[in-house]
Amino acid sequence: MDFSASYRDASGATKGHNYELEVTLSGEVDPATGMVVDLKDLKELMEREVEARFDHRSLSDDTPYFRERPATPETFAQLIFELLDAALPKGSLYRVRLSPTRDLTVEVTR
Amino acid sequence: MIRLTRRFDFSAAHVLARSDWSPERNRSVYGKCANPAGHGHNYSFEVTLEGALDPRTGELLPAGRLDELVAARVLRELDGRFLNRDVPWFARHVPTAENIAKHIWDSLAGGVAPARLVGVRLVETRNNSVEILGDEDSA
Repeated sequence: MDFSASYRDASGATKGHNYELEVTLSGEVDPATGMVVDLKDLKELMEREVEARFDHRSLSDDTPYFRERPATPETFAQLIFELLDAALPKGSLYRVRLSPTRDLTVEVTR
Repeated sequence: MIRLTRRFDFSAAHVLARSDWSPERNRSVYGKCANPAGHGHNYSFEVTLEGALDPRTGELLPAGRLDELVAARVLRELDGRFLNRDVPWFARHVPTAENIAKHIWDSLAGGVAPARLVGVRLVETRNNSVEILGDEDSA
């Protein structure tokens, strides 16, 4: 999934990125469907949990998550992991990869 | 667990050949890469760190620290060079993708505290890459 957001850095300057988000689930393949997860369900869940909250927003000003902690690629990736982990079936989230630029990726696993 | 991967680019020339082998033997082992005139690549490499976030800054390493370290310890030594001739370590080690990845690992290990170095992936061409996975603390 791709989305765009801005944030204020440690010096107070406003910056922004096109973020690329990669979400990996693990689990048993459902014998009836042949799928680990219905990708349509996963897409809707990502739209609800991530895109609706952050796309074209300021992480620092338009969301409640970065009042106490700075918005960095590391803390943002951790937050996305926590939000998705809470919304998905227990234990099914394996990895979140967040790339603010093509040269930087932060990966969160359990 | 949180990991951060940063990508860097450099260009360099090399020859794959050992000075203690005959030209014929080098040619048979390394093929066209043994051409003594050298050839070059646009290399890229990815450095992966693992650790705990500083609760105050929300970062694994202070901003810019990794870039400065890579510039000082790797890019300054390798970028725009003829590796066999210009880099002392490659006078003794054939500058294969494997050895370049190892040299980058050794150059960065010990420099990224409080994070830990856990991966170096060197991409030589779009078809060839070498990945070293480990943990500098347990190495």
